[in-house]
Amino acid sequence: MLELVDLTKRFKQQYAVKNLNMFIEKGEIIGLLGPNGAGKSTAISMMSSLVEPTAGDVRFNNNSILKKPAQLRKVTGIVPQEIALYNDLTAEENLQFFGRIYRLKGAELKRRMDEVLDLIGLKDRRKDIVKKYSGGMKRRLNIGVALLHDPELIIMDEPTVGIDPQSRNYILETVKRLNAERNITVLYTSHYMEEVEFLCDRIYIMDKGNLIASGTKDDIKRILSAEKTISIKADRLNEAFIKEIKEHPLVNNIQVEEKEITIMVAKEVNIFSTLIKMAEDASLELSSVAIKTPTLEDVFLHLTGRALRD
Amino acid sequence: MIGQIIKKQALLLIRNPVQLLLLIGLPIILILILGNALGSMMNGDSSGLKVKLALIEHQPENEQVENFLASIDNPKGTKVEQSDVTNIAPIQTLKSILTNDELKGVIDVREVPFSEKQAVLDDNTYTAVIEIPRKFTHDFLSYTIFGEGNKPKLQLYENEQQQIGAGVIRSLLEDLQRQYTLASFLQEKEIDQQVLAVETALLNNNQQSINQKNPVTSKGYYTIGMAVMTVLYIAATIGSLAFMEKRIFVFNRIIIGNMSRWVYFTGILLSGMIFGCLHLGIIFSFAWITFGVSWPNIMALLLVTFAFSIAVGGIAVLLTAISYRLHSETVTNFFSGIVVSLMALMGGSFYPIGDNSTFIQTLGNLTPNGAGMSAYLSILRGDNISAISSNILFLCLFGMAMILIAASTFPKRGEAV
Ligand SMILES: Nc1ncnc2c1ncn2[C@@H]1O[C@H](COP(=O)(O)OP(=O)(O)OP(=O)(O)O)[C@@H](O)[C@H]1O
Ligand SMILES: [Mg+2]
Repeated sequence: MLELVDLTKRFKQQYAVKNLNMFIEKGEIIGLLGPNGAGKSTAISMMSSLVEPTAGDVRFNNNSILKKPAQLRKVTGIVPQEIALYNDLTAEENLQFFGRIYRLKGAELKRRMDEVLDLIGLKDRRKDIVKKYSGGMKRRLNIGVALLHDPELIIMDEPTVGIDPQSRNYILETVKRLNAERNITVLYTSHYMEEVEFLCDRIYIMDKGNLIASGTKDDIKRILSAEKTISIKADRLNEAFIKEIKEHPLVNNIQVEEKEITIMVAKEVNIFSTLIKMAEDASLELSSVAIKTPTLEDVFLHLTGRALRD
Repeated sequence: MIGQIIKKQALLLIRNPVQLLLLIGLPIILILILGNALGSMMNGDSSGLKVKLALIEHQPENEQVENFLASIDNPKGTKVEQSDVTNIAPIQTLKSILTNDELKGVIDVREVPFSEKQAVLDDNTYTAVIEIPRKFTHDFLSYTIFGEGNKPKLQLYENEQQQIGAGVIRSLLEDLQRQYTLASFLQEKEIDQQVLAVETALLNNNQQSINQKNPVTSKGYYTIGMAVMTVLYIAATIGSLAFMEKRIFVFNRIIIGNMSRWVYFTGILLSGMIFGCLHLGIIFSFAWITFGVSWPNIMALLLVTFAFSIAVGGIAVLLTAISYRLHSETVTNFFSGIVVSLMALMGGSFYPIGDNSTFIQTLGNLTPNGAGMSAYLSILRGDNISAISSNILFLCLFGMAMILIAASTFPKRGEAV
């Protein structure tokens, strides 16, 4: 349905997106993962015909959209990372305006508005001014506007940033439902692994403008097949212990949180006894040491040596 | 499509009642303040000049007229009609001149008894004192009608600290004297005064329609001055609303909705024009109703307003295009913060800056508000459309130039991020 071919965007000397290749088939939910500044939003701007790429092509149903974006625009809904709504208008007025932009009118527009308001759960707040909405409600309306014209493809750029878990679950469920019930194709961008794991069939991972991994969830996790992830928990981690682990030659990657250290080692290495001895030396009381099933977070750590969220 | 943009723009304006009130309330308040405070400095408005005049009569005039009529029972068989005598009674004439409609607001006439003469002369609030001696009218009539005796004299005391006011009184008296001299000359030569009276009346009327026409009051002047200035804020407001659409990424949504950016551009242009017209309309209507600033030629008014709105719309799209291009609202803020005030000053919104210098006047007419102001003032004075055609042409060309520059500055496809 949508295909990116060596898509590149350069701002001055800096590549925001470099040689990105990607495809989306009808009915899929695709995840696009990457930390801040990875180039996700820039890629989305290009594939939604807002920004012209420096090089490469975007093909929609095998036609380049660079010169003729109309076909893509007609059937695509874009949920921007920013809340792109008129704060001084009501939800209804916002929907009405954007509906008219999409050339909906009369009874058809009214029907679509009702449907969307129902879907995003804002039916009883439709007459309220957006300014007075909570962050989660604004996010939902931001999505709602992109659904007005009943798109075949929706591209969502971090639609759950900065909102409460309840609204977030609501949004995730809604996306899943849209895909299941109406066969809407979804490109979902996030830096939350859990969201992508929950929603997506296939995943692309970007970092610093480059694609660093892609495939199904299992494909990606298989990247880690040569390694295993060990989680070390303690009530009070101390510097001496962390330093020792960091300097240990067998540890490939390390991620330190408040009460937990995650490390990766080669599959065949047995490091348990060493860890326990190191803890004793650093007079640290461990609460648990366990092998974890790898997550996408771990894949990212493996590939870049950095955590996805800093 | 374009209609949607304009409708939404109107909705956004209405949703900011404070800003809206400021946009419309500001000019009205300024008209009130400037119209009252600076009104006295303006030409064509006499309310600044106040003359307080004391009249001291030693003997009532009608008594003298009766005495005069009684004393001319026989002389030389000249027939003298009572009405003729009353008609030329000098003090009566003077009083009716001093209290006629045009001078009523300016000259405050107090008839004061002789006993208070010294008090009045010492009172600094009086501009002048006219003392009419005993038998003045009697002597005047004898001298004028029969050429008997000496020409009687009025005594005028002037307050040296109020020279302008005193000068007005002096020239009034001199005028009156000239007219009497002329009248008696005509009488001597037996020319029919009636003929001349008609001629003078004609002359007077003509003069009015050539020079004064409708004098522009200070309220009228500032209604125009403030309207043409504050309508520029409408352009700035439309510009910053449009930039807000870019800032909050709504513009991107509009583009993704497959609306041409030129449709959007046209929507902004028309919004500027329509809201500019509305703004002018509201202020002019308000001034009409409350200050009585009425327009003799509605067609000309509409024509200038339309031409002016092209300039306003042009400024709105130019501000929009530049702020889109620079990703910053600085230009719009600079425009409404500084440029508008400067242009308003140049254009004569605060006081008729160009009255004393043709150079400044020309310069002022090269600002859209200045050109608009000149045109509106001409209409208010009663000029016809041909007198303002150059202003109208300038406004249209100015607007077109703004639109062209804006169109070439506005980000093209694929440039917006
Ligand atoms: N208009 C622009 N001009 C210059 N540099 C830009 C512009 N837009 C983005 N960039 C740069 O391109 C890189 C990628 O930015 P982008 O917004 O695509 O990242 P992202 O993956 O969406 O990040 P986030 O998760 O924070 O939204 C960043 O380094 C950013 O600074
Ligand atoms: Mg982004």
